[in-house]
Amino acid sequence: MKTWKKFAHVDAKTAEEAAAILKSGRAALIAGGTDLLGTLRFEILPTHPETVVNLKADPFLDYIKEYGGALRIGALTRLEDIARSALVKERYAALGEAAHRTATPHIREMGTIGGNICQLPRCWYFRTPDNRFNCVRKGGGQCFAMSGDNRYHSIFGAVKSCLAVNPGDLAPALVALDAKIHTNRRTIEAERFWDVAFPGSTVLADDEIVMEVQVPAPPEGAKSAFLKFAVRKSIDFPVVNCAALVDKAGGTARICLNAVHGKPYRAARAEAAAADALKGNSTAEEAAEAAGAAAVAEARALPGDRNKWKIQIARTLAKRAVLACLR
Amino acid sequence: MPDEPNFGDEGNKGAENAGKMSRRNFLKDAGLAAGAPAVLGGAMAISAPPDAEAAQPYNARAVPVASEAVCASGMATVTLTVNGDKYTQAVEPHWTLRQLLRDRLGFTSPKDWCGGMGACGSCTVIMNGRPVLSCMTLACECGGAVVETAEGIAKAGHPLIQAYIDHNAFQCGYCTPGFVVSAKALLDRNADPTEEDVRDALGGNLCRCATYQQHPPAVLQAAKALPEFQKRSGGEPKPSKGARA
Repeated sequence: MKTWKKFAHVDAKTAEEAAAILKSGRAALIAGGTDLLGTLRFEILPTHPETVVNLKADPFLDYIKEYGGALRIGALTRLEDIARSALVKERYAALGEAAHRTATPHIREMGTIGGNICQLPRCWYFRTPDNRFNCVRKGGGQCFAMSGDNRYHSIFGAVKSCLAVNPGDLAPALVALDAKIHTNRRTIEAERFWDVAFPGSTVLADDEIVMEVQVPAPPEGAKSAFLKFAVRKSIDFPVVNCAALVDKAGGTARICLNAVHGKPYRAARAEAAAADALKGNSTAEEAAEAAGAAAVAEARALPGDRNKWKIQIARTLAKRAVLACLR
Repeated sequence: MPDEPNFGDEGNKGAENAGKMSRRNFLKDAGLAAGAPAVLGGAMAISAPPDAEAAQPYNARAVPVASEAVCASGMATVTLTVNGDKYTQAVEPHWTLRQLLRDRLGFTSPKDWCGGMGACGSCTVIMNGRPVLSCMTLACECGGAVVETAEGIAKAGHPLIQAYIDHNAFQCGYCTPGFVVSAKALLDRNADPTEEDVRDALGGNLCRCATYQQHPPAVLQAAKALPEFQKRSGGEPKPSKGARA
């Protein structure tokens, strides 16, 4: 059994207090802990934090409210609470389903929305214990997935030479619903939030803390859906997942795939194809078919075709997500 | 349980258990009796705490510590309630709740299987009304927590225990405490679950013997017996404390 490298543990009472400790760059923020503790125990990163800062003592970051035309979810809200919220399920179906399909019941009871959107990728080279693959994401010279086993890796090319995919289930739902991430410093559009700063998976600075996720209310009559394909339905990270928001009356669609690229992949071509089909006289099936095909128009399997299977899955999920919104 | 505050530590149960031989007691006694290492080498290896850093015999008791001196050396003192009893223990920042429960407090039902990756559910405990993985919970963040383990569920005579026996919902039994705790958390929240609810709630627990098919009928049987159990035990089980209104 692996023993732990030691660290100090501090309970911060406010975000300012936590940010002051995080500023050193040698500290890590813990929420649910289900991602962070794995990275610390197995020492997957070249650096080890001296301090783990716990913000859970702040009781004001755990809420689900709707006001000002938007759903507001506190960063420390547990995924299971989001999945069970009647408000979320009714008006923000894609987000509720995404929260419900994340990981296992236990991890949903522990994991928070703030932690989930900041999780590190699951690439098996990146995650190998003791940093045995010092990959490009960790400051090394190469991406080992390029020549190695890349069956779960990107079908839309590399981000800064890294082929790892964003493994989040909430991410595509937040992008499709045009959410905003509010931190202790600024408000970031969901689409920009995962413009990665290595080795992390977000744009956040060292001392930046997610405070709230804001999701604008979808237009009246619009429907959203989230679909996920995983090896084991009840446990696994997605092979591919897809969220869509379709406003049939307005003739617009927002479609986002995830686990297919280093960041959530907003399928602009699929959105255009769906919108065209909706404005024309197409049936729901035809619109969905067109969106699915367009979603993977730019997808390319990596050399060796080991991840080619993901393209077909991405296409089908995009199709079914649009179809679910049109029903 | 005021008459038995050390519940969970079978070795200290006293007169009531005198003369009873359980597998764990045997392993513990064998491990502590260093007289026959050649014969009992295997048993000793099993009885040794898996976490070398928290090495201490199983039946060492949790004792209140002078907090100030300890905190200065990087340790924190937590007081938490486990199965109705209060414990105070000094912990290091990197200790998990599972380590604290197993190696310090003697509650051996949270198992270590996947190695602390949150992948198997064998270490599940109910903390503040939520089923959580004790291998991914830092012990120092558990101050004031109310924790329930499979020992507490068994001791309360919860119908889940008999239902699991009736349906043979285990083979080697290693994962069983995790399943039972997950099922108890479900029944606390939803006293009349459907089979789909049960499958959903147990979705995070792995069983290498593949006894999965037996679990839903066992939990559904326990749900049927729940009203009678609640009447008998005066209102137990309580509704989830951590659940959102």
